[in-house]
Amino acid sequence: MKTVVIEHLARVEGHGGITVELQGDTVSDVRFDVFEGARLLESLVRGKRYDEVAPILSRICSICSVAHSLTSLKATENAFGIRISPQTEQLRELLYKGENIQSHALHLFFLALPDYLNRPSATALAADKPDAVLLGLRLKKLGNLIQETIGGRAIHPVNAVPGGFATVPTLDQLIELRNALTEGMQDCVAVIDVMTSLPPADFCHDHTVYAALLSPNADSYYAGDEVMVASSGDRSIMRAAEYKKLTNEESVLHSHAKHSTFRGRPFMVGALARLTVNPHRLTGNLAAAMERLKLQLPAGNPMDNNKAQSLELVSDVERASEIVEHLLQRGVQDERPAEVHVRAGTGTAITEAPRGLLIHCYTYDADGRIMAADVITPTALNAASMEQHFRSVAEQSAGCEDADIEKRLEMVARAYDPCISCSVHLVRRS
Amino acid sequence: MSKPTVGIFGLTGCAGDQLVILDCEDQLLDLVSLIDIRDFLMASSENDDVCPLDIALVEGAVLSNKDAERLQAIRKRAKILVALGTCAVWAGVAAMDGSADRRERLVEVYGETGLSYDSVPAQALHEIVKVDLNVTGCPIEKDHFLAAVANLLNGDAPIYPEYPVCTECRMLENNCLLIERGELCCGPITAAGCKARCPNLRVPCVGCRGPVGDANSSSLLAKFEEKGFDRHDVAARLRTFAPQGGAQ
Repeated sequence: MKTVVIEHLARVEGHGGITVELQGDTVSDVRFDVFEGARLLESLVRGKRYDEVAPILSRICSICSVAHSLTSLKATENAFGIRISPQTEQLRELLYKGENIQSHALHLFFLALPDYLNRPSATALAADKPDAVLLGLRLKKLGNLIQETIGGRAIHPVNAVPGGFATVPTLDQLIELRNALTEGMQDCVAVIDVMTSLPPADFCHDHTVYAALLSPNADSYYAGDEVMVASSGDRSIMRAAEYKKLTNEESVLHSHAKHSTFRGRPFMVGALARLTVNPHRLTGNLAAAMERLKLQLPAGNPMDNNKAQSLELVSDVERASEIVEHLLQRGVQDERPAEVHVRAGTGTAITEAPRGLLIHCYTYDADGRIMAADVITPTALNAASMEQHFRSVAEQSAGCEDADIEKRLEMVARAYDPCISCSVHLVRRS
Repeated sequence: MSKPTVGIFGLTGCAGDQLVILDCEDQLLDLVSLIDIRDFLMASSENDDVCPLDIALVEGAVLSNKDAERLQAIRKRAKILVALGTCAVWAGVAAMDGSADRRERLVEVYGETGLSYDSVPAQALHEIVKVDLNVTGCPIEKDHFLAAVANLLNGDAPIYPEYPVCTECRMLENNCLLIERGELCCGPITAAGCKARCPNLRVPCVGCRGPVGDANSSSLLAKFEEKGFDRHDVAARLRTFAPQGGAQ
């Protein structure tokens, strides 16, 4: 028997490791270990007033703080029956696009790309591939500009509040965004060039189940209330309020061994899942880019999540640009957030964070104080699928040196773009 | 002169302060040409985790024995240890309710399994080791971080505002959210440096940068009570990000 251990996974957000035990060529045990300290934020918001919740729970994670904030606001609004204006919907969607652009650019260029080119980091890569690194930096900056303009800050947005936005963007700010997005469109073509130039990462094939928000109109990550779980020949749809079917939370909490599964099978969330569940998105430039990337859906290789993220960069910049154009043509109304009337009740919201499905579910008392909060993050949902794929990598790497197996395991882990701070609900092993 | 050696570390938190460093898109490549980053797990897979460091930048709070051990090891390696962000400086959001029964909460969030986790109440870095410089904020402001590095490279001590968010807010000629609109704004006792980011957008300050040096919390509490807010609510709000600095 031998054990392959990656003690402290580098180039990911947060603190985790991988352990794989092999008996000959057969994997006898596989673990995605998490040793992030427990902050217990879900219990700390209990008793807080409704307007304090989003600023606290956005602190679960910096890279997806917009998703945590807006999902939190949506859950609160659902609990109180607040309807937001169409303009707020659009601004929130734009803010989501900004976060996705920054997060994907960070992941692809700073966390994933160095592996393909055998470098320890993006800054080391800058010595001989400065164009690729500068491209990543420009796209990151574009995503951050959108987040700063609409959310008031790139990390932990402050301007999104229950019912809408405290302050709407000015005409000058929107024109600045339009100009930046126009440049961003050209950069997206270059992203696909970079991705097609990479050596193939072909060492993990497995049947994979995907779960993502159904996005009937365009490619929104924020609107929508239905999740589809898709594997070949089997598609199931569930509504936000039924999220526990997806998370199997009961068994997760009481067992070291079980993770989130759907009908007993692990599933993958994130960019690749979104494209798989919403094939109607794959038209125009996106379809052409997909062909260049030789990506076929449904994919059996989790490494294809990197390709899917690069496709989303193309579609996010296009969609952000459309929203900004629309706002400029229509003119932004200087509207105040919808009025909040608190009431007792439960609200659930499911959205697509950069790394996949994110669920916030709150129960409020009649004074608008939170009685219970439940947060399920994409990395927690992905944990079981990651372990399944670690197993496949190890088994499909029979005869390889340990160092090669380690590198492959790390690359598959990074392809999931895990956000370990986020995994507040992950089953932990001491 | 050889470049100063630097390590960038995250304890338990949201990684937002390390992300601010990576968000310095216009300065990042210049920055890495001026310093020799030896240990930065979030951005590199090739790290020297034992070498001596001229500067250690540490974000996050201590929430496990493992965090405490890592912090002590970093302190031993570093000439200058900088606490980055409100969690490192004040223990942050995870410390907001110090009176809570931690075992009960572990069970609430993680089930019985939670009792076996390596988990301790949130502590700021200075509660465990000597800290040479604090750069507060949730997250830190990009210009403060860059100024801190520039100052340290030049052998200067960085200077940060020693006045409250209110001062910056007034200079921007905003209407006062507390006095004129009766909103629960923590600006009067919160350390400036954010250019009154929130009240400038008509959002009350939540105190995410921690308290200003001469914060008069009791006077602010009286003002909030006069405006009709519940004393416990206000005290809890003032403790959200910096429990040690807020009103008792």
